[in-house]
Amino acid sequence: MTPRLPRAIDQGLASCHVCGKVTPVNRGRCPRCGESLHLRKPLSVQRTVALLLAALALYLPANMLPVMTISELGDVMASTILEGMVEFWHREAYPIAIVIFVASIMIPIVKIVALVWLCAAATGKVHPSPRVLGRIYWFTELLGRWSMVDIFVVSILVALVQFGAYMTVTPGPGALAFAGVVVLTMFAAMSFDPRLLWDRLEILNASETLQPTPNRE
Amino acid sequence: MVWVVPILAVLIGGWLIYQNLASRGPIAQVSFETADGIAAGKTEVRCRSVRVGMVKDLELTADLKAVTVSIQMDRHAAGLLREDTRFWVVRPRVSATDISGLGTLLTGAYIELEPGNGPQGPTSFLGLETPPPTNRNVPGRRLVLTADEAGSLLVGSPVYFLGMEVGRIETRDLAPDGRSVLYNAFIRQEFGDRVRENTRFWNTSGVDISAGATGIKVRTPSFQAMLAGGASFGTPDGVDPGKPAPDGMSFKLYPDEDAANSSLFNPTLKVLLLFEQSVRGLTKGAAVEFRGIPIGRVTNISFDYLPSGKDSRVPVLVEIDPSLLRRSLEGRVDGTDAKFLSTAVDRGLRGALKTESFITGTLFVDLAYYPDAAAEKLTQYGDYTAVPTVPTGLEQLELKVTTILNKIQALPLDDTMGKIAKAAEEAATTIAAARGTLDEINTTAAAARKMLEDPEFRGLPTDLRRTLDDLQKTVSSIGPDGSMQGDLMRTLDELRASLRSIKSLSTSIDEKPSSLLWGRDSSGNPVPRAPRVKH
Repeated sequence: MTPRLPRAIDQGLASCHVCGKVTPVNRGRCPRCGESLHLRKPLSVQRTVALLLAALALYLPANMLPVMTISELGDVMASTILEGMVEFWHREAYPIAIVIFVASIMIPIVKIVALVWLCAAATGKVHPSPRVLGRIYWFTELLGRWSMVDIFVVSILVALVQFGAYMTVTPGPGALAFAGVVVLTMFAAMSFDPRLLWDRLEILNASETLQPTPNRE
Repeated sequence: MVWVVPILAVLIGGWLIYQNLASRGPIAQVSFETADGIAAGKTEVRCRSVRVGMVKDLELTADLKAVTVSIQMDRHAAGLLREDTRFWVVRPRVSATDISGLGTLLTGAYIELEPGNGPQGPTSFLGLETPPPTNRNVPGRRLVLTADEAGSLLVGSPVYFLGMEVGRIETRDLAPDGRSVLYNAFIRQEFGDRVRENTRFWNTSGVDISAGATGIKVRTPSFQAMLAGGASFGTPDGVDPGKPAPDGMSFKLYPDEDAANSSLFNPTLKVLLLFEQSVRGLTKGAAVEFRGIPIGRVTNISFDYLPSGKDSRVPVLVEIDPSLLRRSLEGRVDGTDAKFLSTAVDRGLRGALKTESFITGTLFVDLAYYPDAAAEKLTQYGDYTAVPTVPTGLEQLELKVTTILNKIQALPLDDTMGKIAKAAEEAATTIAAARGTLDEINTTAAAARKMLEDPEFRGLPTDLRRTLDDLQKTVSSIGPDGSMQGDLMRTLDELRASLRSIKSLSTSIDEKPSSLLWGRDSSGNPVPRAPRVKH
């Protein structure tokens, strides 16, 4: 077993979240940029959970309300995400349907679930292995941004397809809700401090090795 | 602090959903005969082009005879569901009268809602199969037009005023008595006041071709009217338009503009005319003229006006405006129509049929004064007064010829012919004899000629002269100083003497016939003898 490297938190050193300068946390403010210093993101889990709940709350209208309305030669068709996906599937545009499904339905749910799971792991409710944790966290970070694809699609369509009576796309309330969902999950991911996961591991390790661990803030 | 966000999010999400759900109004069930063009989830319901609902579901009724369309009304439109709210499907209509709803070609049909005025409440309606007449909330004049015949005036045909389209025909129906056609016309608000009490409506459908004595006239108001019919209205010249017509007023629809214009007259007087001749060529609606001015129309030609049977004259019922006639009869403008008519007839007013056009053979009725006409009186047949008639024109000619022919027929031609035949025979014989005489004369003439040419005959004149001279000498000699006389006296004396001797002879013969034989003997009587004297 390799000797444990010292951890900054054990020594009370905090990295400024703006400029990165490492300073003892009891200084209160970063000497370089003046931002307040925290060892860990304050109320990280709380915030994350709150934001996730908000995202969930908005997810329902995002799927129930139409995302965009296509008026094609007077034929007005308002479609939700699911309806759009089904439409593309019926039109045998399978890749598009798959993309929509993945980007607009799967990813947000996966992200929310993953974050919830990560929060659970951070608070010690679940005990996955570090590798899994790492993978999942990386996955979440990676995928997060792709949820915006659907919003981009809608906004590009709305911006470009304005051909009067022939074809006009107008955004619907579902798009707004969906954008809210994606933004909130992004904020949730940003609020989540992954160091808490490692802290938890330390606690676990420490409970195995009976070493004192500092309280997480 | 951060928990505000989820709370807010829940609230917003909830509000969005609620709003979506709450914007739904009641569900209306409308039954149509067919769901042609209606699709669930797509077909909108509109009121004046504003969306008020969406078709949610289509279902066949239990008896499979109709389709029940369930409409999800929008909340704000819930108040439109009233008792006499009307629903109909707007499909693209491209017809000669109307090109509308073209948007529906692209969008598909939609259901139009016209809110009624009754109480709110019902959710079950019977849909209309055809769009109803102009939305009753649209301001304008609604009038009733009565026509004898539908012609080519259709529902949706435009109504013109001075060539401008100002309204349309809404409905077309048979009148309850089945004798005329009723149209409901809608005139837009801004032109509503143009319709006055004395306005005339006429049919300007199609192409109006009229052939009269003046020639052939072709008239068409517009291409659209030609295809889809149209009606026009206006106030004829010289007529006071009167007050604006109220809604619902009824007008007569004249078959064409001429008929409308000539309807100026007020046909108050119905008069019967009985014609002996054929009225072929006279039609209902033919003009009645007085000295060339139209004063009326032929209303009917029917034997019903005469009491049955014996009269074979053709009754023609006309209606005229007597005002013009009255003016023609100077000095008698007042008095009842009947009195006026009787005075006019006394003065020679007669009806006659005259030819309007020799090409088509149409007739019209002409009223005029015939001072030479035989005196006649007005007669009464049923409800109508009959004005006497005279035959005219061709008819009169026919009459004269007939009279002449009759006269000719009355002549004793057979006898005359017989006599002539006999005379001819005699003449023939006479001529034959004459011919014989002529031949003799010829021969005589020939002989005479020969004689004349005879040279002896030539000498005749000189001989004749000589003879004449001799005769003259003779005559002179016979004359009183002629020698002849003396000779004549002496001769006469001698003759006398001879006679005496003869007489004695005869006496002696008588006494003695034998003296012829024995001579005279002296019987004893001495007979003195005279000596013979010789000259």
